[in-house]
Amino acid sequence: MTGGSTRVQSRLRRILGVVTAAILAVAAVGCGTGSGEGSAGSSEQGGPVTLEFAQWWAPELPEGAFQELMTQFESQNPNIKVKLLSGPYASTKQQLVSGAASKTLPDVVGLDGAWVNDFAKQGALTDLSALMADAKYDESQLASQIKVDGKTYMIPVVNFVYPLFVNKDLSSKAGVKAVPNNRSEFLDAAKKISALGGNVKGWALPLDTAVPNGIQNDVMSWLWASGGSMLTPDGKPNLTSPPVKSTVEYVKSLNDADVIAPGSLTMKEQDKVEKFTAGQVGMMIDSLAHINLIKKNSPNLDFTVAPLPAEDSYTGKRGLPYASWGIGIADSTEHKAEAFKLVEFLMSQQANAQLSTLANGFPGNNTAEPDFSKSDPLFKTAFDIYKKGYPANEFVGLPKSEELMRTFDEQLQLVLTGKQSVDDALNKTQQSWASVI
Amino acid sequence: MMATRQARRRLGMKIATIVGLCLGAVFAGFPVVWMLSTSFKTNGEVFQVPPRLITENFSFDAYWKILTDPTQLRFFLNSYIVALWVTALTLLAGILAGYGFSRYEFRLKRFINVAIVSVQAVPPITLIIPFFGLVVALGLYNTYGGLILTHMVFTLPYAIIMTTAYFNTLPRELDESVKVDGGSGWTALWRILVPISVPGLIAVGIYTFMISWNEYLFALTLTRTDDMRTVPIGIQLLMGQHSYEWNQMMAMSILGSIPVLILFLLFQRRFIGGLTSGAVKN
Amino acid sequence: MGPAHIDRTVLPEAATLEAETSTPPARDRRRPFTLRSLAPYGYISPTMLLIFVLLVIPIVMVVSYSFQDNVIVVKNPVFAGLANYTKVLTDPVFWTAIKNTLLFITLSTIAHLVLGLAFAMMLNTGLLGGLTKAIFRVVYILPWLFTIAVVAVIWRLMLDPFGVVNYILTSFGILQTEVNWLASPSTALWALTFINIWSGYPFFMISLLAGLQGISSDLYEAAAVDGANPIQQFFNITIPQLKPVLISMAVLDLIWTSQQFALIWLTTGGGPLNVTEMLSTYTYKQAFSSYEFATASASAVIILLLTMILAFFYVRQLRER
Repeated sequence: MTGGSTRVQSRLRRILGVVTAAILAVAAVGCGTGSGEGSAGSSEQGGPVTLEFAQWWAPELPEGAFQELMTQFESQNPNIKVKLLSGPYASTKQQLVSGAASKTLPDVVGLDGAWVNDFAKQGALTDLSALMADAKYDESQLASQIKVDGKTYMIPVVNFVYPLFVNKDLSSKAGVKAVPNNRSEFLDAAKKISALGGNVKGWALPLDTAVPNGIQNDVMSWLWASGGSMLTPDGKPNLTSPPVKSTVEYVKSLNDADVIAPGSLTMKEQDKVEKFTAGQVGMMIDSLAHINLIKKNSPNLDFTVAPLPAEDSYTGKRGLPYASWGIGIADSTEHKAEAFKLVEFLMSQQANAQLSTLANGFPGNNTAEPDFSKSDPLFKTAFDIYKKGYPANEFVGLPKSEELMRTFDEQLQLVLTGKQSVDDALNKTQQSWASVI
Repeated sequence: MMATRQARRRLGMKIATIVGLCLGAVFAGFPVVWMLSTSFKTNGEVFQVPPRLITENFSFDAYWKILTDPTQLRFFLNSYIVALWVTALTLLAGILAGYGFSRYEFRLKRFINVAIVSVQAVPPITLIIPFFGLVVALGLYNTYGGLILTHMVFTLPYAIIMTTAYFNTLPRELDESVKVDGGSGWTALWRILVPISVPGLIAVGIYTFMISWNEYLFALTLTRTDDMRTVPIGIQLLMGQHSYEWNQMMAMSILGSIPVLILFLLFQRRFIGGLTSGAVKN
Repeated sequence: MGPAHIDRTVLPEAATLEAETSTPPARDRRRPFTLRSLAPYGYISPTMLLIFVLLVIPIVMVVSYSFQDNVIVVKNPVFAGLANYTKVLTDPVFWTAIKNTLLFITLSTIAHLVLGLAFAMMLNTGLLGGLTKAIFRVVYILPWLFTIAVVAVIWRLMLDPFGVVNYILTSFGILQTEVNWLASPSTALWALTFINIWSGYPFFMISLLAGLQGISSDLYEAAAVDGANPIQQFFNITIPQLKPVLISMAVLDLIWTSQQFALIWLTTGGGPLNVTEMLSTYTYKQAFSSYEFATASASAVIILLLTMILAFFYVRQLRER
């Protein structure tokens, strides 16, 4: 080896070696374990109880807002401290299942309604009905509770409804006079918007099979908006009924009219929102929580929200799909009473209203009124739509709801690509669902 | 004449090589360039049509946000610590095991052979739950130790295969020469074999570092609090329920790739040694 | 005669766990039970301990799950014999997954090999200066540096129907209309394979580059003197010298690529119409959507068995050389 460069090299290596050794040393001495031992919470006799609360909500709210709510709670409950844990939303369910299996679930967990049935069966969640009875809680203030076998396992804290979003710039450019109110008008509007050409389409339909909630938000919503149901009154699948068939045929007609944005078969919910924000999609069914997001990313976009179009002849109340930020208590926690205090706080009129306003959702406490004064006027429009209709999401509380959605999704994809008839698809899905529900 | 024909052929090959290298560079580098470009855009501009490399709102905001956020910085520190320890320990265990496989014959050797190669095939997703339970039972949940040992399990098989291979090419006469002077197998290993294999060991080390640095699934499952989490988790945290923070995600990825890049830059000369360094064979 | 200065900077001729150079010392054969004969076990003990505790035990648990029913999700699992295996082996989606996985890993590995070798040879050439080569080396290693989630996300962005790839291709007239790379059943698998090729070739490239360094230039000079042209030199010197490395890399890559989950999940989720459904996504859906951990475990065991067969043949052909 030649001399000069080696000397420089070996000095560099020596420096690197020293630095590495230093970091390793610091690591070994200083920070061997993370704060908060493996199991949930900690307390000494009469000392403060620390509750761990796993959720994905804090990053979706304004910086520090959720922590502030927790501080409020702590000041009202001097014996209890709350430690917020956050994780990537996409991995939340998988982490909860794993955590439940190894009994390391945090004390309080944020939940999606679609997961409840399976977690309850796994024994991961505490029966909240019992806790509410113990604490003599007034259940009437809760807008809804998610029950399995008659016992409550999750309480929706904030509800996000999914109205129709309409891009007013595109629609007026396309000659669409008014916001579509029924299916024919919607199809018409979508056609006109798609006729604008370029990369603009009238509607977006995310049918990604990895996270198939497009079936819930973008397909079944048409059914529920016309007061229909995908289940029989005793909860069995009813997919071969005329209302479901007409829904699927309607979606197919939209596809045949080429008004749906390309990439539908693997499009995720986030893509749909991004395309709407970028002005590539004229109309979408989407969560109210995105209003702020759209305004932030595209301040000049002129859009509005509207009730979902129903079947032309339908005049009844329209179902509005929703998703919730729900809360549950782990079965493995040692601090059930304290955990319930946190739940009570989040559901209390004042905190609930505050949280709903921050999140642009609707309160899970039906006596709480979100504060409209500082938020977007669209929020108030949506609230009126909410009051005039009813929340509709039949997937909440069903077992293996993600699998149900996925089976439906796969069959729908076959219909949309022309590989299968609507009847066949519905029959197959019906059979598949019947084995689960 | 011969000389010019040869010279012309050389020139032709040189040009062909440069063209090939440039095409390859576009293939390799374009997505990274796009990552960089996205990290300077605002979220609204990411989906702009037609796509542009540099947009009007070019800014370093995303980088600034990450570099001033203590939680994110902690992610970087954790990734460093875990990856460094994993590399050091993997190399150590790998060298020992490689020596054992290379210099000795023993029963079960073939069986362990097959086992080491094939256990890498078990889908991590199915291992997650039993693994998780085990780590909790061992008291390693949410600790550096848990992550380090876990990552080692994934990096050791490859490391052992490689160290064994390196040692296999070094003739036993080298060992003998040490033993003749009164040393033992252990001395032979550390005095002779390892120093000669350093370049190969560096390659293994860099690869190990990279695997550990970029590992996501187990890092997520086996940690609980922000002060233990690593960079890949930090990136996924930016993929929210409702939207992605594109610029921050890309910025974090770019920042996250820099340590490995530096490692590579520092050490590449050593293991790409070269035709010019004058190999002298025994 | 001290140890000579050997500058072996590279991957050696035989990536094998079998000692090739000389027979084991006679001492060991005559006295099999001395302390000395325990030495090899001592050297491999740290590894064995770690792998046993943290890998073998979970694998055994997974195998045991596969013979039960309703594990994890129900408190009282029930012994179910081979029921889960039957369920998996009679599921048409499983066979689609196998087919797709085989296609995916074979194509990826071949392309990795070819690209890796091509790049390695270009980076090894004597025709260019050290600095140029160093710069290109850095550029070529870039795909390796990023975590797979980011690779998936950025490629998804670029392959969007209105994304930059389509934009460039249509501007240059190579395409007439935008292609739905990841959402169209006819192109999704190829697009996915392409992304995987992009993200994985550096591993091959670096190993082969090191390997190329180890081929003595004497061989090439001798061949040139004998009148061999570059192509002949390539096939008669380079390839045979690199063969052990190539085979080892190929086997490892086949195994590692079959593990690929995040890339597929974040780009296509196994769709559209199951064209990109792989064993990894199939197993994941069984575990975390259907909550059928027993079935997922059965699927995992089947994958493990298939790989053990591959590993067995790999180890056997090493010995025979």
